[in-house]
Amino acid sequence: MILDDAKILIGDDSILARKQIKDMISEFGSPVFLEASNGQDCIDIYKKERPTLVFLDIVMPIKDGNAAIREIIEFDKNASIIIVSSVGTQSQLRSAIEAGAKDFIQKPLKSADIQHIITSRFERS
Amino acid sequence: MYAQFFGNYLLSRGVITEEQLLSAIQKKSAGHMKLGTLAMYAGYMTANEVDQIVIMQTHQDARFGELAIKEGYLTETQVTDLLKSQTPDFLQLGQTLVDEKIIDNQQLQSLIIDYQSENEIYEEDYSNETRENINHLVENFFVIAERSLSSFEVSFIRLLFTNLVRFIGDDFTPVSPYCCREYPTNYCISQRINGHFSVRTYIDMPETACIEFASRYVNEDFTAFDEYVQSSLEDFLNLHNGLFNVNISNDYSIELALEPPQTETDELLTFQAETFLLPIVYPFGTIHFIFEIFKSE
Repeated sequence: MILDDAKILIGDDSILARKQIKDMISEFGSPVFLEASNGQDCIDIYKKERPTLVFLDIVMPIKDGNAAIREIIEFDKNASIIIVSSVGTQSQLRSAIEAGAKDFIQKPLKSADIQHIITSRFERS
Repeated sequence: MYAQFFGNYLLSRGVITEEQLLSAIQKKSAGHMKLGTLAMYAGYMTANEVDQIVIMQTHQDARFGELAIKEGYLTETQVTDLLKSQTPDFLQLGQTLVDEKIIDNQQLQSLIIDYQSENEIYEEDYSNETRENINHLVENFFVIAERSLSSFEVSFIRLLFTNLVRFIGDDFTPVSPYCCREYPTNYCISQRINGHFSVRTYIDMPETACIEFASRYVNEDFTAFDEYVQSSLEDFLNLHNGLFNVNISNDYSIELALEPPQTETDELLTFQAETFLLPIVYPFGTIHFIFEIFKSE
């Protein structure tokens, strides 16, 4: 799939973090972006829109990232979820991967991390 | 990065007031480093000798370096080396205070000697800022505050200084922390850490300072107090606390939990537990970090 045909959901309670992820992805193409500022919105948007890829924070209000991964995977076991979090402890990493996340990026966010995720999943447009 | 601690050192010794320090920090980058101060710092000349040359300069039109060579205080090579040498940040602060006539050369000389011996700063430390150095300065810093710290608290403060240097800039001075029961807010974000070390952390600053803080943090020029600027304070606090949790997990195999950051809407915060306020003075304004400590170990 080429990036321009993708739908990417970004779930983070920080509007700044969402903007930074969007800006970094936009270097490689123009997918449709969907945004959620808490875990519950993220689940609801996922079910409605079936995005190609999800970037998800762990510490979020209402429902946290781990709860969101579990509910999304329950709905779609093939969901591609990448965690982007400042709390990359071993146990957080383990529970995210066990819940079904495909990768874990430790904040502060570096464009090389996003580049790796995007170029390994999408063809150049 | 030692200028911030030198500023605090001067405050704690009563050499200068907070207003004088703030004004000196703001003027620091504009100040011109004098050869005499560099010679004093290098140990080539005493304050008396520097003053003597300065007096001679009022009688004859000659440069400091030329006169110092003529009087036999410095060699030509020394002058060249001094002019090429990298000036430590804290010396710039000292120079500004001398320029502002808040202290004289004699005082500066003894302050440099005392400060260096208390903090064991040697030349190689400037190029090699190790974790241990920061740790040592942090502990020293809190001796001034008359408060002993748990190992979690030391890690927390050490990481905070490291993150400020890394993400905002090293041109800050921490003012001695103090206990408080109430705090009138400007723009204030808080985040709670739960577990073995349980603390509510706050970051607060005026809106104008937020704009510059965000510009430095995000590396973009913000001009208005908008949602991105507001979000950058949350982001910084969340990043710092997240990295702290990672360190604690790595060093002690203890998992702490983090709640989402929140905006404090009360104009006056009142604290239930032991609370410390740590002001960090930047040229763009003062950031207040507040730690309401429910459980320290």
